[in-house]
Amino acid sequence: MSATAWAWLVLLFPLAGSILIALGFRRTSWRTAGIIGTAAIVLAFACGILALVELLGESPDARHHASALWEYASVAGLQIKLGIYVDPLSVFMVLVVTGVSALIHLYSFGYMQSDEGYHRFFSYLNFFVFSMLLLVLAGNFVLLIVGWAFVGFASYALISYWYRRQTATKAGMKAFVINVIGDIGLVLAAFLIFQHLGTFEYTEVFAKAPHVFHSNEWSVTAICLLLLVGAFAKSAQLPFHTWLPDAMEGPTPVSSLIHAATMVTAGVYLIARTHALFVLAPTAADIAAFVGLATLLVAASIALVMTDLKRAIAYSTMSQIGYMVVGVSIGAYSAGMFHLMTHAFFKALLFMAAGSIIAAMANEQNIDKMSGFGKAMKFTSVTMLCGALALAAFPFTSGFFSKDEILAYATARGGMYLIFTVLGYFGALLTAIYTFRLIFRVLRGEPCAEAQELIDTGHVHHAAPFNPATGEEEDTEVGFPGPEHHIAEGSPPMKVAMGILAFLALFAGFIQVPGVDETVTHFLDPVFADSPLAAIHPTTAEAWVGLLIGGLISLGGIGIAYWLYVVSPETPRRLQQRFAAVHTFLYNKWYFDEAIDFLVVRPALAIGRFANRVFERYVIDGAITGGTEDTVDRAGGIVRTFQNGIVRTYGLFVVFGAVGLALYFLIQQS
Amino acid sequence: MINALLWVPLAFGFVGLFLPKRAVGWWATAGAVATLAIGVIMAFGFESGAAGLQDTVNTTWISGLGVDYSLGIDGLNLFLVLLTALLWVGGIAFAAFREQERPQLFFFLMLAAETATLGSFLAQDLLLFVLFFDLMLVPFYFLFGGWGVDRSAEGGPTAPQATLKMMIYTLIGSLLMLVGAIATAIISAHGGHITFSIEAIQHQGVPVGSQRWIFWFFAAAFLVKMPAFLVHGWMPDAYKAAPLPVLVVFSGVLAKVGAYGFLRVVLPLFPAATSQFQTVILLVALASILYGSVMAFTQTNIRLIAGYSSVAQLGFITAGIFALRADGSDGAILQMVNHGLVVAPLFIIIAILVERTGTEDLRSMGGMAMRAPVLAAVFLIVALATLAMPGSANFIGEFYILNGLFQSKIVFAFIAISGVAMSAYYALRLYIGTMHNRPPSQQNHGIASREISLRDGIVLAPLVLCILGLALYPQLILHRADPSVQRSVSAVTEGGAPSSPSSSESEELAVTK
Repeated sequence: MSATAWAWLVLLFPLAGSILIALGFRRTSWRTAGIIGTAAIVLAFACGILALVELLGESPDARHHASALWEYASVAGLQIKLGIYVDPLSVFMVLVVTGVSALIHLYSFGYMQSDEGYHRFFSYLNFFVFSMLLLVLAGNFVLLIVGWAFVGFASYALISYWYRRQTATKAGMKAFVINVIGDIGLVLAAFLIFQHLGTFEYTEVFAKAPHVFHSNEWSVTAICLLLLVGAFAKSAQLPFHTWLPDAMEGPTPVSSLIHAATMVTAGVYLIARTHALFVLAPTAADIAAFVGLATLLVAASIALVMTDLKRAIAYSTMSQIGYMVVGVSIGAYSAGMFHLMTHAFFKALLFMAAGSIIAAMANEQNIDKMSGFGKAMKFTSVTMLCGALALAAFPFTSGFFSKDEILAYATARGGMYLIFTVLGYFGALLTAIYTFRLIFRVLRGEPCAEAQELIDTGHVHHAAPFNPATGEEEDTEVGFPGPEHHIAEGSPPMKVAMGILAFLALFAGFIQVPGVDETVTHFLDPVFADSPLAAIHPTTAEAWVGLLIGGLISLGGIGIAYWLYVVSPETPRRLQQRFAAVHTFLYNKWYFDEAIDFLVVRPALAIGRFANRVFERYVIDGAITGGTEDTVDRAGGIVRTFQNGIVRTYGLFVVFGAVGLALYFLIQQS
Repeated sequence: MINALLWVPLAFGFVGLFLPKRAVGWWATAGAVATLAIGVIMAFGFESGAAGLQDTVNTTWISGLGVDYSLGIDGLNLFLVLLTALLWVGGIAFAAFREQERPQLFFFLMLAAETATLGSFLAQDLLLFVLFFDLMLVPFYFLFGGWGVDRSAEGGPTAPQATLKMMIYTLIGSLLMLVGAIATAIISAHGGHITFSIEAIQHQGVPVGSQRWIFWFFAAAFLVKMPAFLVHGWMPDAYKAAPLPVLVVFSGVLAKVGAYGFLRVVLPLFPAATSQFQTVILLVALASILYGSVMAFTQTNIRLIAGYSSVAQLGFITAGIFALRADGSDGAILQMVNHGLVVAPLFIIIAILVERTGTEDLRSMGGMAMRAPVLAAVFLIVALATLAMPGSANFIGEFYILNGLFQSKIVFAFIAISGVAMSAYYALRLYIGTMHNRPPSQQNHGIASREISLRDGIVLAPLVLCILGLALYPQLILHRADPSVQRSVSAVTEGGAPSSPSSSESEELAVTK
């Protein structure tokens, strides 16, 4: 079979799984649903591997194929096919998405075990994977938008999965609306592309673009900026990021899959996919890179003070995506994609470990209340440590190779781009500090009550069914993680998933060692061969110097964290007091939510209220309707004097009036 | 065949008047299904790719006045006819499952309304079109007034009062259109033999000076019917008064007659005026989108959320037509069908929700999904289609509309597209407010299941299947609509209209002299 046939199967399995689980929700057990869901993703992964094998069997230049099922909407000069595009980039994404998803499904199989909404969960989760695969496999911009919006919906559905929680439905709504704004950016970009190139097909767009657009022409810049709106909304870059921390209302496997490993990296994929346009619009590419840089610093600074375990990791996700955006925007395409992959491994793992700990805490997420889990949960702690080391770019872990490769490219490109190197390393320092702040505060120290209970009795602590964030009473019937909680120590599927990811987090970097193998670069090369930026390459020596600096910074950051949170735990508190204003500013997440609320949400609602209370009442109902009725009434009164008894002769009046009007015009005409 | 399609509903309605109470609902449903079956058979015989009329009937009716009884099907009305037939099946079946007062009369009026609506879609004679357009209103007047909801207890109007308001609005529009139609025929005859045939009038042409005022007579009727911004004053009260099964067909189909009228009558007959007033109508359309969306934001009555969202959607459709490009109008046709297909199940679901909760206030609803997962799933699909989620046919409709607008009037497209973001908000707000969260009072807790009944499921399933089917293959409609749309639109774009401002100017001078 051809690569495209395998790619269609990759799409088919998750979709079929989703539908099957949904239809069988009354008749099948939770176990069946979980098995179907997990198997569908594993099969998709297998098909992805087969597609990869097909591609590798061809010469590098021939590794791109388009395939379409039917004309989706093609009239009046527009041509939109239900078509996919298979090349190394899409296959790379397929493998990352299905691979990580399969493990997260496995994890969910155990973690969500006693949740009443198990079928709904797995159906949504499979649908999400289908959508994400559609996004990366789409062969034209319209289908891309479809996949783009589908993942947005899946994300919404899973954020508000515990839909009796007001906080969850609010967070879901916020995520959805911001994502729709991103969709609109993409739609407008598609219109502009159509206006100038007359097509939505990737292959034609990228082939024609260099002949139609001049470098930095306003139209191609506008296209790229609109694409960036979509990319930033999905990838939680400034100023569209506020939905991501709130999205942590969803179950932890969702945070792991959607809000860390796959969906939020779609923006990075988009920029890489459309690099042919960004090459023509260097200004837009630079804007993207600077936004990525700003995001990575802002998010890292917030992650330093977050006390909510999942939200802290979410800000770290934003920050890491910032690195990827910088990478693909400045031309370090394969480095950016490589970081996307390694990040998927270690961040998914960190969330899984966090989920395990939160379950042990009976859904409490505040790290101020956690300590000493190192003793209570050995497996979870060890895997969490693996994830943390990779995130902090500890030498020879996966994050070490991938992050530094982006920064080494920035150095090699030189000039203005050295800013990215310098601030990127500064961000790396912050990363190491905030990561090990979490590790030291959660895993070390005297065991907290919940950890102690686990050590003493081997049982997980059960809290009263209240939402720890709001005090709202929980509804266990719809599937709020009811009386039972599942931790990795007691659940083999969770252990397997976390174990594999821990291995990958530590060792996946070795497939891309500068001067040794560079597998990812070689594989992705044909995709980016048309970009002049792909020719820039740091030498092996430069790359290793970069790695050396990165390694030292990582160790330094971990050291600082050790000093701050273990040796002298009084220091952070003193710092917090001395720089109270800074702390408040960071703790309130730079007041982005408040600003958006003030600038966008309130005005919109105020206009709505004005329209409702004033305009509708006085203008529409009062002046227009009332005026008409008055006129008719008065006319009726006149008629009444002529012909008593006919009370409501509105019709008559109108006939007279209209005929009179027409006669007037007719006379004027003739 | 086309005659059967048109008159079968009315015939069933007449017979139903003499049937016993219990049987009449089923009889009426059978009538609606029969109509749908005829429609589907005709659709299978439809030759796609052809622009002209098919299945035509053409008989002289009033020869002295040049009025013909002429019907026909083409790409413009094929799917609107099918939509009408389908939604009437839904509305009537939904009503048949419930007790109705004076059922014989109720179902007679429903079926009479179907014939009138089909007539206005099928008519190819201007006067016949106007006649059906006005006749449509009569059964609804009685249905709203006689079976409607009395709001006087909550300070609102009674059903007859609300209906009267609607009548005044629409009657003014309709009568203006009647005058416009007569004037069109007289003027286009140029002193010769008068004819009302749309095709013949188009062939003869209407002088540009006359086009300008007649255009507004027609536009008034169509915009009121939609309803568009500023002339939507009848909508809130009428929607609140209307019995819900009637509202299913009313909001699903009637609004589209207005939009359809633009494509069938206004564009071909008044091309110069159309291109002259393009911006004005686009402004109205844009205002409808923004105003409808903003209002849908803040409403708490769930009927009105759906009602105002229709105002916004019809704004999109109007904007698509007045982009005056084939893609915009193709999208408009697709979107008319799509909107009918989502708003009808939406009102059915609203009816079900009202039955279960006893309130129409969004603030006192919530948490239904827990007791009714299937209903929640169906509602979710409908809500997503309402907000034109990419992947739905509604998205393709809006995509075509906005692309047309983007290529012809880019500023309008940028403003109109904000309506898309707002629709996401109000559609989700409606869904979350009814299905998610928790009702403010906990009184519903004792009830084990509030799940949708099998009977309502049977009504909803075909509609939802149509939504899903079209989502996979919107080309079905686009492909068949396109040739006819091209013909209507090219009447404006190639009819010498854009080049004629100067010539029309001079003609006007000549006229005033």
